[in-house]
Amino acid sequence: MLVTVVYLLSYLYFFVLWNNSDVNVPKLSYFFLDLLDSIIVDVASECHRVARLGLDSNLEEEDEELKLSAQARVRVADPSNSNEANGKYVVDIFGQTHPPVANEIFDCLNCGRSIMAGRFAPHLEKCMGKGRKARLKVTRSSTATQNRYSRGGPSPGSTHSPYSNYSTNSMNRLAYGTSTFAGEEHSNGTLES
Amino acid sequence: MKPKASVNRPPTPDVVENVPEREPTLQELINIKLIETGEKERLMELLRERLVDCGWKDEMETLCRAVVKKKGRNNVTVDELVHVITPKGRVSIPDSVKAELLQRIRTFLVSAAL
Repeated sequence: MLVTVVYLLSYLYFFVLWNNSDVNVPKLSYFFLDLLDSIIVDVASECHRVARLGLDSNLEEEDEELKLSAQARVRVADPSNSNEANGKYVVDIFGQTHPPVANEIFDCLNCGRSIMAGRFAPHLEKCMGKGRKARLKVTRSSTATQNRYSRGGPSPGSTHSPYSNYSTNSMNRLAYGTSTFAGEEHSNGTLES
Repeated sequence: MKPKASVNRPPTPDVVENVPEREPTLQELINIKLIETGEKERLMELLRERLVDCGWKDEMETLCRAVVKKKGRNNVTVDELVHVITPKGRVSIPDSVKAELLQRIRTFLVSAAL
């Protein structure tokens, strides 16, 4: 009984205090807007001081750079969109268009075929019997074995006519190995640029 | 011997004592309480920090710079800047920042009333 009375009295006390405090939203908004207006005046006076003293020249330069970078980004995005629609050519950083696979024509010095520049490396890998795919094919490995045999003894090469072709292959291999010879071939080749 | 000037100084007029003072309003009382306890400064700093964090201040500075460019740096005044950015500044306050500040003000008023 006594505990109940004390509880009710405490509740009534706090209830009266809460009502007397008169805390409602309009007054809170009034205080908040007062603080906000003070900060707005601070920002305005700071910007005015910067403007009158001419301290914002760097900011103007930065704005200009931002505009230029934005324009460059847009300009780069538009051609790639048009080229993506084509699906054929790629635009590099200088704005020039290139085919996805290089289409210059080269003559293979080993077998005499005409090969596109983009497919020249895989072709050489198969034609000369070197690289990753040589182990998988029996003919390539046998060719390599015969080449080693021809390197070992010059006299068997001279006696048999088929070995002369393999010695020619070895000469071609040396030709590919030397950079000066390759440079000469590039100058003599079909490069028209 | 000539007497000093301070000796002949006229007497100080009496302060009028019967002027009735105006009763301050509740808002003024609360404002005085805020200033006396230092809570107003704390709220000001908190609000400034929150507005810088959410990018409001950068927006206001960009707006001021646009006004300065339009009117010319030698023709613009602080009052013009305040008049231009106050409506937009009040509208563009994030709700989270406003709610936080109002809650702190409410807490302060409740604690001051007790």
